[in-house]
Amino acid sequence: MPTKEEVLEKLKNGVIQYDEDACKEGANEAIAIGMDGNEAIFEGLVAGMEEVGRLFEAQEYFVPEILMCADALYAGLDILKPHCKQMDLGVKGAVVIGTVEGDVHDIGKNLVKMMFDVAGFTVYDLGRDVPLDQFVEEQLRTDSELVCLSAMMTTSMIGMPKVIEKIKARNPNVMIMIGGAPTSKELADKWGADGYAEDASNALKEAIKMVSFLKNLRAEKEAEKKG
Amino acid sequence: MANKFKVIFQPAGRRGEVEEGKTILEAAQMLGVDLEALCGNKKVCGKCKVRIEEGYFEKDNLESGMKHITPLAPTEDELKHIKPEDGPGIRLACACEIHGDLKIFVPERSRAGKQVVRKAAKELSIALDPAVKKYTLKFTPPTLHDMTTGDYERVIKALEEQYGLKGLQFDYMTLKRLQPALREGGWMATFTVWMDKEIIKVEPGSVDVCYGLAVDIGTTTCVGYLCDLSTGKVINTESMMNPQVPYGEDVMSRITYAMTNPEGLETMQKAIIAGLNEIIEKVVAEIQNEKCPKPGCTIDDLTIVFNTAMHHIFLGFDPEYIGKSPFIPAVQQSLNIKARDLGIKINPAAYIHVLPIEAGFVGADNVGVLIAQEQYYQDDMVLVIDVGTNGELLLGNKNRVCSTSCATGPAFEGAQIKFGMRAAPGAIEKVKIDPETKEPQYKVIGKADWHTHIDGKINAKGICGSGIIDVIAEMYKAGIIDKTGKFVMNLGTNRVRQDIDGKPEYVLAWAEETSINTDITVTQADVRALQLAKGALYTGAKLMMKKMGVTNLDRVELAGAFGSHIDREASLALGMFPDVPIEKVVVVGNAAGDGARMALLNKNKRTEAEERARWVEFVEIATDPSFEKEFMQAMHIPHMKDKFPNLKKNLEEQGAPIASSIKG
Repeated sequence: MPTKEEVLEKLKNGVIQYDEDACKEGANEAIAIGMDGNEAIFEGLVAGMEEVGRLFEAQEYFVPEILMCADALYAGLDILKPHCKQMDLGVKGAVVIGTVEGDVHDIGKNLVKMMFDVAGFTVYDLGRDVPLDQFVEEQLRTDSELVCLSAMMTTSMIGMPKVIEKIKARNPNVMIMIGGAPTSKELADKWGADGYAEDASNALKEAIKMVSFLKNLRAEKEAEKKG
Repeated sequence: MANKFKVIFQPAGRRGEVEEGKTILEAAQMLGVDLEALCGNKKVCGKCKVRIEEGYFEKDNLESGMKHITPLAPTEDELKHIKPEDGPGIRLACACEIHGDLKIFVPERSRAGKQVVRKAAKELSIALDPAVKKYTLKFTPPTLHDMTTGDYERVIKALEEQYGLKGLQFDYMTLKRLQPALREGGWMATFTVWMDKEIIKVEPGSVDVCYGLAVDIGTTTCVGYLCDLSTGKVINTESMMNPQVPYGEDVMSRITYAMTNPEGLETMQKAIIAGLNEIIEKVVAEIQNEKCPKPGCTIDDLTIVFNTAMHHIFLGFDPEYIGKSPFIPAVQQSLNIKARDLGIKINPAAYIHVLPIEAGFVGADNVGVLIAQEQYYQDDMVLVIDVGTNGELLLGNKNRVCSTSCATGPAFEGAQIKFGMRAAPGAIEKVKIDPETKEPQYKVIGKADWHTHIDGKINAKGICGSGIIDVIAEMYKAGIIDKTGKFVMNLGTNRVRQDIDGKPEYVLAWAEETSINTDITVTQADVRALQLAKGALYTGAKLMMKKMGVTNLDRVELAGAFGSHIDREASLALGMFPDVPIEKVVVVGNAAGDGARMALLNKNKRTEAEERARWVEFVEIATDPSFEKEFMQAMHIPHMKDKFPNLKKNLEEQGAPIASSIKG
C-alpha cells in the first residue's frame, strides 16, 4: 500500500505533468487507503494546480499545457468527488457563470468553472451566448453569492455593465467577477465589478488564489478540531 | 514627480506614458513614432501635422480631445500651416503640450518613414468583358423636319440600330448633359453604357479609353488598382493605411466604437470615403488631362471588396449585429450603388459594384479570393489561407468548397509584439539562425543585403509580420524554443537571456545595430502571441478538413498582403497549416484584390461571384465541440499530435537536428 504522502505526490505531479492516468491511479489509491476525499483534492490536485499557476506566471506553461492539466485534474476529481464529506468552511459556495450574449468563446470560462468545481462550489453554468437577463434571473433563483461574466470580444463585453447594474440594484452583496481578453481592471472598477481576470489563465490564477484561501481555511478548521 | 498621461499614436499603434508638459513631437520621438520634423521644433516647417482624436475609446479606456493639450486652440504659428482641407482636429505636434490622455493620428503626409504597402498587382489572364463600355455615335444634325424627335429618343434609337442595345435607360443627371455635349462635339458623341442597361456618361466627340478602379479595403491597408478597361492593364496602383485605424486596430474594436459613440459610424464612414477619394485623386494623376477639371470623373466603373465589418461601415450599415453572435449581416448579395450616393469622386453617375458577402465575417474580400483562385473548377483539394488581421480560409475543389474565418489577432501584422512594427523601412523582414552558434542573420526592409554583409549602420527598428514568422520558426529549428513554445535556457549564448522581470528572451539585434539604441528582442510573450494566431489558423483548417472528410491537402495557397511575404518553409515549420510537400505551398499575392479586378474586367465574374458566394458552405468553428481540443493541440509547434512527414523530410535534407523530434 502506498503511503498518504506518496498518493498526494502522485496526484500533484499528475496534474503538473498533465498525466491523466497518474491522476486516476492516485485517486483510486487515495480511496483504497481510506483517505478523506477533500484532503486528496486540496492537498493533491489543488496543490498541483497551484504549481501549474506558478509555471504559467513564469511563462513556462501556456494555454495548451493548462488545458491538459485541467483534464488531468478532472480525471482525478471525478473519482474523488463521491468520497467527499460535506465541508463547513463558512461559505455557502454557489456561483453563476457564463459567457455573455453575443459571444461563443468559453475556454476561459470553463477553466474558472473547473476551479469552482474543485473547491466544492455549486456551479450554475449557463454556457455561452447567455442573454443578459438570464444572469440576473439565475442569481435570484439560486441565491448565489458570486456571478462570473466572461467575454472574448469587445462587442459583447459592453453588455457586462448592464448585468452588473441589474444584479447590484437587487442585491448589492452579490460579488461579480468579469473576465476575458478585452476586459481590464479599470473597466471592472468603472462598472462596479468586484473582481477581474484578463484571460483564461489569469482567471485561473484568480480562482486558484480563492481556492488556496479556502484550502487554508480548511486546514485551520482541521487544526481547531484536533486542538 | 510630474504627472504622466497615456498617449497613443495611430496608425503606428505605438503607445506609452508621457510626462505632463512634453510636446506631442517629443512624445512621438520618445515612443519611436515616425513624424516629419524638418525644422526641429521651431514651428516653421509645418511638417509635423497630427490629428487629435476626440471622444472616449472603450478598448483603450481613454478619453482624448483638444481639451487635453495646451494651448487649447491653434496659435498663429500653427494657423500659417493648417489648411481647411486638412480637416478638423489638426495641430502641429511641436506646438502642443500634453496635459491629459491623448489619441493622436499621424496623417500619411506627416510620416517620415513611408509604409511599404505590400499589395502589388500581378498579371491576370482573363477575357475582357467589362460592365462598362463606350459607344461613339455620329448624327446628322437635326433640322426643322426632325422636330418631333427629342435628342434622348434620337440617341436611344441610334444605339439600338447601330449596336443592338435595346431598352436603354438614361441616368437623369447624365441626361442633363446630353444636349450641350451633342452640340459641343459637332454631333458626334461617346456614350458610356453600364451593363447594357443605362447610359451613365455622354462625352463630346470620340473617346475610346475607358477606366475602372478595383478597390480592396483591408482592416489595415487599402489599395486601388486603376485599370484600362479596353486593355485590362493596370495603369497605376495607389495604397494607404486605412484611415479608420485610429478608431480601432481590429474590426471588433471598430464595431465597438460605432456602438459606443453616437456618431461613431458616421465618423468612420466619412473617414474611409475620404480615404478612397484620396486614393482616386492620386491614382488618376497618371491620366490627367486639361480637358477634365475633375480627373476622378474619368473613372466609369468601380468594384470593391472588404471584410464584412469594413463593408458595413463603408456603406453606413450599423455593424452592431455582425459584431455579436450569431453575426448576421445587413445584406449578403452584391450591390450596385451610384457613386454620387456615397460621395465617391469618380463619374457621379457610375455604379460602385460591391461584391457579395459569404456569411458572417467571411466577407466580399473572401469572395474576391474565391473568384480569383477558382477552386470550384479544380480537381485538387486546395486550402487557401487569406492572412490578414482576420484569417479567412477556403477549402475544397470542384465538388464542394467550405469557408470559415478565425480570429488570428494582430500578431501576424507585428502588433502586440514587443518590437513589432508594420512593414516599413527599418523593419526586420527575414531571419536565419545558425543552429550551432544560435547567431542570427537578418534582412531589413530598405537594405539590399543580409545585415552581416552591410558596412556601416544597419538601423534596424523593429520586426514586421514576416520577420516574426521567420524568427520564431528559426528559433524552433535552432532549439531555442521547444515544441511547446517554451524557451530553452543555458544554451551557452548571451543571446538567450532573462529580461529584468526574469522572463526569457532572444536578442535578435544588439542595440548598436539599431536606430532605437535598444536591443531588439523576441520575448516569450511574443512566441505565445504567435502560437495563438497560428493555432487559430490550423484549427480552422483542421475542422474544415474534418467536416469535409479530407485527410490530405494537394496544395496550400497563401493569399493576402502579408501572405505574399511569408516564408513558405517557416510557415510550414511553425504548423500554420497541416503538413504538405513544401513545393505545394504557393504564394498567390493579394487574391482579394485580384478578384475585385476580375469583376471589373469581366462582368460574368460578377454573376459567378453572386452564385459562388451562395454555393460555398460556411463552417462555424468556434462552436464545434472539438474546437477547444483542436485549438489546444494546434498551439504546439508544429503540432502536439499531428504528423508532419513532409516537414520532417525537408529538415532532414537540410541536416537540421530538430528533424528527429518531428513526428513523421
